[in-house]
Amino acid sequence: MTAIIRCGGVTKLYRQGAEDIHAVQDVDLDIEAGDFATLSGPSGSGKTTLLSLIGGLDRPTTGVIDVDGETVTDLSASRLADLRLRKIGFVFQTYSLVPVFSAEENVEFTLRLLRRPKAEREARAREVLAQVGLEGLEDRRPGKLSGGQQQRVAVARALAARPAIILADEPTANLDSANAEALIELMSRLSEASGVTFLIATHDARVIAHARRRIEMTDGRISADQRIAVAPV
Amino acid sequence: MNAILGLLGPLAWRNLWRNPRRTLFTLAVVVVGVWSILLFDVAIKAVAENGKQQSLRLLTGEGQIHAAGYLDDPNIDHRMPAPTGRLGAVLTGPAVLAWAPRVRVPAVIESEYRTRAVTFLGVAPGAEAKVSDLPGQILAGRYLRAPGDDGLVIGADMARRLKTRLGKRVILMTQGADGRLAEAGFTVVGLFGNVRPAQDEFVFTGLARAQALLGLGGDLSEISFDAANRRDPAPATRALAEAAPNLEVDTWMSLSPLAFTIESLSSAYVAVWLTIMFVLMAIGIVNTQLMAVFERRREFGLIQALGLRPAQIVLLVTLESGLLMGVGVALGVMAGYATVLPLGGHLDMGPFAGAMERYGFGGVLRPTLDLGDAAAVGVIVWSLGLVAALWPAASAARASPILAMSEA
Repeated sequence: MTAIIRCGGVTKLYRQGAEDIHAVQDVDLDIEAGDFATLSGPSGSGKTTLLSLIGGLDRPTTGVIDVDGETVTDLSASRLADLRLRKIGFVFQTYSLVPVFSAEENVEFTLRLLRRPKAEREARAREVLAQVGLEGLEDRRPGKLSGGQQQRVAVARALAARPAIILADEPTANLDSANAEALIELMSRLSEASGVTFLIATHDARVIAHARRRIEMTDGRISADQRIAVAPV
Repeated sequence: MNAILGLLGPLAWRNLWRNPRRTLFTLAVVVVGVWSILLFDVAIKAVAENGKQQSLRLLTGEGQIHAAGYLDDPNIDHRMPAPTGRLGAVLTGPAVLAWAPRVRVPAVIESEYRTRAVTFLGVAPGAEAKVSDLPGQILAGRYLRAPGDDGLVIGADMARRLKTRLGKRVILMTQGADGRLAEAGFTVVGLFGNVRPAQDEFVFTGLARAQALLGLGGDLSEISFDAANRRDPAPATRALAEAAPNLEVDTWMSLSPLAFTIESLSSAYVAVWLTIMFVLMAIGIVNTQLMAVFERRREFGLIQALGLRPAQIVLLVTLESGLLMGVGVALGVMAGYATVLPLGGHLDMGPFAGAMERYGFGGVLRPTLDLGDAAAVGVIVWSLGLVAALWPAASAARASPILAMSEA
């Protein structure tokens, strides 16, 4: 399999007063195309920081990160924005939707930035909203959707532009059990159906249970990396 | 660019109404600001135009022609022949709306009781009425009827000072063309008023009568003219100067420097007021936008994480300000017209009219809101508003996309 994400010697240092905090320390990691992988570990272990570095939301202090053949660490802010737009979908911990846009408009957001024709945008938005089970709710604004529905809109938005990678940061953290289960099932199913690579930072055991690859972090380092041969659960 | 505007335009508009109270407050600041700038502009220009017209429509006209040296020493030696040839053709051509020939010399007037220094004018009444409002300011008696009219029209104030009145005889003495004293008796046939400084200075008789008294033949002291293009008398002035290279052709700007200064300063006053109002508006806009940007930092991080470039964030916030300012400017201009149009271009200053007349102004202002002025104020305020919005816009663009990862 080809590595779609490649981290080499990645370190992220934060300065807190006179002290240097190693959020991520010398991480070497390859994620293969089509993986459904989790990054787990206790709070402060560096999983969210590593995810933000891979997603080009932040820059490492040292080390190199390649995403789908492009070296993220070399890119300007504008080029990084383009890379995120074309290759990476994000699902965040909180329901990160544009509050003044409807569900459909939120899903169309990246497609509009990619200058896709209107008919194509609308068709794709409806298609992915249907995939996440939100048919009939296209015109609702986030304020009129439940937490689970909002997170499903976020997943639909992440999928809309057919990215190579979806990075999700604690996507079930603010959901109740039923909604969390439904979202995990949905992401797992979408991963298998579309072949998109999922890298999910989580400490939710239910999510980890669905992963085909389980990476654990402790104190900014990768402490375990387990591949599951057979589809779990 | 259109695709991005198609996305960011509706987003910017909807963002404005996320906090309607704040948006309406900012909108009110812009509307009141634009409205007050326009009203100030209208008022200042009406006063300046009033002063200018009072000055120009008395005797100055929009321009004058004299013999060389007349303006420095306005005596009978500095005279010129009646216009013929090229000068006559330009005066009667399309560049000139109207013109009036005059004899104008210093003189002394004497009644039974008093003697006063005056400016003695011989005028052609028909032509004069086209370049001067003075023939319409007769308070008692009549104005002159023809160039040969040998009556005398004097100011009401002067009549009081001379202790004379309508129908009484006065003696006028001046220097004739031959250098000798020229004097003649005149009957006061009319008293003019409402033009305070002039009431005490000028006396009028028919042009032919004055020329005969002074022994001028057909010669003149001055020609007053109005250009066909009132906004720009320069082309007419140039044509006249080219037609009469030995004469001096001047515009009202140099003939009546006070009126010109008032008019020039009116633009400066408006600019000062515009600056004051704009600074107040900018403080309001920048403050509210900075507040809005601060509240939405995580959202700016989110849309950057989704692929919006920093420059597009600047565009989004600038669009929000542009829309807000645009609506505010449009409403402010409408409010300006709603205030000025009902006046119908006529504002009687009522109790202040007397005071205004004492300072050389008329008692009635003619306020009009020029579409070009309104558009210029609107464009300036809107453009400056956009510039002011660059600060909060730059602040929004600095929001790191990593903020999207943080909890709300």
